[in-house]
Amino acid sequence: MANDTFRALAHPLRRDIVERLSGGTATVGEVTRGFGVSKPTVSRHLKLLEDAGVVSRVIDGRTHRLALRPQALAEASGWIESQRERCERLFDVVGEYLEERKERR
Amino acid sequence: MSDETGYVVSIERTFDASAEDVFDAWTSPEVMRRWLHCGRDWETPAAEVDLRIGGKVRVVMRRPDGTEAGMGGEYTLIDRPHRLVMTWTFDDDPSNEQLIELSFTEAEGSTTVRMINSRIPTDERRDGQDEGWSGCVDELERALAG
Repeated sequence: MANDTFRALAHPLRRDIVERLSGGTATVGEVTRGFGVSKPTVSRHLKLLEDAGVVSRVIDGRTHRLALRPQALAEASGWIESQRERCERLFDVVGEYLEERKERR
Repeated sequence: MSDETGYVVSIERTFDASAEDVFDAWTSPEVMRRWLHCGRDWETPAAEVDLRIGGKVRVVMRRPDGTEAGMGGEYTLIDRPHRLVMTWTFDDDPSNEQLIELSFTEAEGSTTVRMINSRIPTDERRDGQDEGWSGCVDELERALAG
């Protein structure tokens, strides 16, 4: 669901994680390196991303690899797109209205 | 969640008209009415603009199936023809108040309008309202294709 994705992306740290994963899969360590936050904090953010379906985790022995699920992100951008369309439509109407007024003068 | 500030849509467009004319178009009930009048079978039972601080702008779209979606806001800053700021809320989601800020900049007879629509909520309460708008877009596309 798009709403879960938005909630997942509402935090800057989670957006950073998503950005790092956009280049390909990575281990938990790689993806959270240099954040300067505690392990439980990282785990909490990762869990939120996984629960929302934005990030998937593959466990290979002792290595946990994370990957992005692009379809979740596509749903979210569709929602913002519909907001933009509504606003663009208002600009179109203003343009038509101004043209009509000019012709009438 | 305190880190949830909503999403932002920002649009800029230049019109071949004075800032006064563009500003007046933006606050015209006729423009509001046309905005949500998506096709022949659609109606806009309400399109009202009360242009003063604290005054309300309100539009209601009625879809061909008879269902309605109302929305509107309150003007919080009116500086004709330079700036216009209003809140924006959808009837089906009254707790989420968006902000729409418009600036009008005239140069050589043309006016550039910049709109920043912020505090767009990010949760599931918006799904129904999204559907209503999709119907409108479909209708417009049909009209263009026909």
